[in-house]
Amino acid sequence: MRRPGIDFHTHPLLVREMVERYSALAKAARETFFIGNTFQPLETFHLELDAASLEKAVVLPIGAVAGTDATLWSNEQIAELCGMSVRLVGFAGVDPRQENAAEQLRFAVRSLGLRGLKLDPPMQRFFPDDRLAYPLYETARDLGIPIVFHAGMSWQPGSRLQYGQPLRFEAVAADFPTLRIIMAHLAWPWVVEAVALALKYPNLYLDTSALYFDNPRDFLRFAMTHQVPLTVFERRLRRQLVFGSNYPRVEIKNMAAAIHSLGFSEECLNLIFRVNADTLLEGAQ
Amino acid sequence: MIVKLTRIEIQSRKDLEMIDITDRIESAVAGSGVRDGLAWAMTAHTSAGLLVTEGIECLERDVLAHLERLAPKQPPEGSHGYWHNRYLDYDGRLGFNAGDHLKSILGGVNCLFPVEDGKVVRGSRQRAYFVEYDGPLARTVFIQVLGEGGTTDES
Repeated sequence: MRRPGIDFHTHPLLVREMVERYSALAKAARETFFIGNTFQPLETFHLELDAASLEKAVVLPIGAVAGTDATLWSNEQIAELCGMSVRLVGFAGVDPRQENAAEQLRFAVRSLGLRGLKLDPPMQRFFPDDRLAYPLYETARDLGIPIVFHAGMSWQPGSRLQYGQPLRFEAVAADFPTLRIIMAHLAWPWVVEAVALALKYPNLYLDTSALYFDNPRDFLRFAMTHQVPLTVFERRLRRQLVFGSNYPRVEIKNMAAAIHSLGFSEECLNLIFRVNADTLLEGAQ
Repeated sequence: MIVKLTRIEIQSRKDLEMIDITDRIESAVAGSGVRDGLAWAMTAHTSAGLLVTEGIECLERDVLAHLERLAPKQPPEGSHGYWHNRYLDYDGRLGFNAGDHLKSILGGVNCLFPVEDGKVVRGSRQRAYFVEYDGPLARTVFIQVLGEGGTTDES
């Protein structure tokens, strides 16, 4: 029986129906995201979710290097994709340097129906605590939507890791206590710092979409039982952790199985895979 | 001499799955115009395979379970694991499906049938299977039919 749940970190890069409509999306998949897998029908995305016993996925746009004009999934395209599947929840992408960034975000949420914001400081090359992004944070807070930040390591050429260091998120969490922030990828390799922030700020969440060596099981065991004891997540951060796979860089089934292998209680798994994601999306209807 | 190549797409729906494609090979043969010759099918992938066995569910389960025992998805605990577990820059992701590639090698990636009088010749128990080792995915299988054309005995 399928247990309803949400993958909070996926990218729609390989959806064939979209790349056939917009050839620039194929180029972005290959040349910006550097994903080499074959394009797949939307049905494969659904089946991936089924294989992990999940119901829905948050689809995130790709962060573009600031100042480039590459087409990397517009908010309209994310909304178009979500219009094809009730199982997908779309987030917006905005360049915080653009003067009308806040207005773009309001339009994406109110008119296009997107339910969150994705920012990628290492690719967009801004520090999360840079005041230039504050109007965007104020808008997200007022709209009641969460922000997923890329945090930690990034493979993507053009990115700079310094922009993804967790401590640069502290001012944002402190200055916007009602804004819900998700630091993606456990902010690896700075998991300890990310956990420290999450312990201190209840509006700061972590997603599990981290895989930088070995395989999902062994990597997550290292990050979530050795770098930080599992008990910290189980006992203290259980309401600030959401499941994310980073599909299609990793199959959803493999990341879900890895999380299940770590030794979390059933109650905690229910929070990670379902309840916490629902909480984050509340208010973003 | 006729040489006809057909590409078919197969949507696997599970991580490990055997999908009977005998009818699709026979359709490719029927549409090829070949009367006497060979039909050859090959998967386009390295974490999937093609093989011939009896078409019953219990045997499908045994084939998949045995290949998983021989080449497990997860390396045994405490082992050095698979060398393939590393970042593949040309793919933009980590490779951690060595077990699935190994299954593909062990189970094979192609199958071959004689064609006689415009039909595939096979044993009464034999079925051709596409085997998914790392699904669900939309996969491609090549079917090439080659041989002499002409009117079949039945026509």
